[in-house]
Amino acid sequence: MILIAIVIGCILGAVIGIYAPMVPYTYSGYLAIAIIAALDSVFGGIAATLNKNFDLKIFVTGFFGNAILSILLTYLGQKLNVDIYLAAIVVFVGRMFNNLAIIRRYYLNKWTPNKKEDNENSAKIQK
Amino acid sequence: MKKEKKNEIIMNVIIGAVCVVLFAVMFMQFKTIEETDITAIENMRETELRTAIAEWKGKYEEAEEQLEENRKSIIEYEQTIEDNGEASELVDKDLKEADMKLGRTDIYGEGIEVTIKNTDDYQVRAIDLIDLVNELRYAGAEAISINDVRIFSTSYIVQPTDGLTLVSDQRITSPFVIKAIGNQTYLSSSLSLKDSGYIDRNKARGMDIDLETKNSIQILKNTSNREVKYMKEGEK
Repeated sequence: MILIAIVIGCILGAVIGIYAPMVPYTYSGYLAIAIIAALDSVFGGIAATLNKNFDLKIFVTGFFGNAILSILLTYLGQKLNVDIYLAAIVVFVGRMFNNLAIIRRYYLNKWTPNKKEDNENSAKIQK
Repeated sequence: MKKEKKNEIIMNVIIGAVCVVLFAVMFMQFKTIEETDITAIENMRETELRTAIAEWKGKYEEAEEQLEENRKSIIEYEQTIEDNGEASELVDKDLKEADMKLGRTDIYGEGIEVTIKNTDDYQVRAIDLIDLVNELRYAGAEAISINDVRIFSTSYIVQPTDGLTLVSDQRITSPFVIKAIGNQTYLSSSLSLKDSGYIDRNKARGMDIDLETKNSIQILKNTSNREVKYMKEGEK
């Protein structure tokens, strides 16, 4: 069910993105940082789901809040002539790797015991 | 159970919406970057191009100023040409008038024609002609000729010997035809004054004199030409 929602959402988003008007080059930097923030939120959400402590409110507010905050910080950085977006990228990408590691470990853990369980099950059946 | 399902649906919808937003923004960004990559070189040279634009703008403004100036001067020149045209017209008019006065051209106009003939009783003398010319001038004649010889301020009428009358180097004989262009009424009436007028006076002396007013009298241009030999321009 949730997979269907994600797939439909992705396809719909892609179609809208392709047919949406082009963003001026000046603002594409902000958009990029927002995308990184959003992706970080998504991976965080997945990791939370796997840990069974996923909260929709936290996810949605994190998704939009991080994106907007990163845009604002980038804007501020440009005004101050400091590349704040670099810090944002470091933080978001670092977190993304953390979350990916969590996801990887979860599945690694899941698959290895599963095999044992399966073996046990089959053994039970065999018995 | 129902509540859980409702929550699940809401969650799915929200996650779907999040995915829509994320992918829409991502694809927009992809598109932007793709489009911009083609013109990346230009973007790198943006500052340079800006400088060039500013330069060209400056040049353009300069050129426009120049154009404006040129336009102004053209207008000035045109004005001058017009003025010159007016001046040359005036000069032309003056020249034409001078030509007419100096007898460089044939002229015509209303006036009178006086014919004087020698008779047995009376031989016309130069003094008679001079008298007549003076009277005509007094009456406002603009141009006078005797036997088609134009009379100017420098003209002379002499009679060195009897029977030889010279007008401006040309010999004339009776009948003398004196043409005068001017106001017909003034000319004829001043000559025809009773008793004291030129005609009456000379008729009394036996001269054969005839006056005719004409609406169009032709006076030919001057043919004799005296060279200037001795006089020079300037002070002594």
